[in-house]
Amino acid sequence: MLFSERSIWTMVHGIGLGGAALLGLAAALFYLYAARPVPDPTGNETGSRAFAMVTVFSAVMLWLTVIIGTYIIFPPYRATPPPGTTDLSQFPRALVLANPGTAWLHAFAMEIKEHMPWIASMLTTAVAFIAVRYPGTVLRDRPLRTMVLTLLAIAFVLVAGISLLGVFVNKVAPLD
Amino acid sequence: MATAVRPQSTTLADVNGAAMAAMLAAGIGALAMALFVILNEAGMFAAPTLYGPAGGVTGRTTFATLVWLVVWGGLHTRWRARQIAPGRVFGLTLAFVGAAVAGTFPPIWGLL
Repeated sequence: MLFSERSIWTMVHGIGLGGAALLGLAAALFYLYAARPVPDPTGNETGSRAFAMVTVFSAVMLWLTVIIGTYIIFPPYRATPPPGTTDLSQFPRALVLANPGTAWLHAFAMEIKEHMPWIASMLTTAVAFIAVRYPGTVLRDRPLRTMVLTLLAIAFVLVAGISLLGVFVNKVAPLD
Repeated sequence: MATAVRPQSTTLADVNGAAMAAMLAAGIGALAMALFVILNEAGMFAAPTLYGPAGGVTGRTTFATLVWLVVWGGLHTRWRARQIAPGRVFGLTLAFVGAAVAGTFPPIWGLL
């Protein structure tokens, strides 16, 4: 088989869901930065629905990413090899820790990846809630727009950094 | 022919409490995550493992998520019909998120 089940889950986690979340966050950020709302006869702003949809999409993708990462990807990553095992290719954590040059990938990168994505998910969910609850106001009201833009930017930076660390880990110790 | 008109969206001038509650709760949830991590690293409190193969991270993240949801529910109930000073809430949220990012940053643990 070209890809193992573990490898497919890793791609779903990192490229599929994580990538979709990152794209959604980028789209929401750009929209909030560039859009100039135009009120329609109903009092809502054109595009507010699209903004709400993309933030909800980003939040859902992020939650799926962190849940799958924690409960499906992480267990095989941290599996302890049986005593006497010399081929550590099936035990990524043991593999990176065995080499002083790559040990930081666990002590730094994976430790960050365990917790920080949940923070990004909470922030994005708050933004999605605000975008749905205040569809016109979030685009029209400058203070609220600035607050939402800031939270989105923080979430985007966190997710982008975490994704990069994931690429590093998977490059050195892939889940095959 | 009658045209259906969607009700005008809630304006911040009316009440902003729900938005402020969502923001502050996210900050508190993030801070809770950092506290669970730091307490665990300091050996003071370890959230119970909820799924053995994944280890203690399942307890820490689930507990922090529960804190976030409970706080959000409480704040939303109290603030949804109120106008809240946005500057203070947003400042607190940013401070909590900053502390949370620092608290979940491994080099910080080395200082414990």
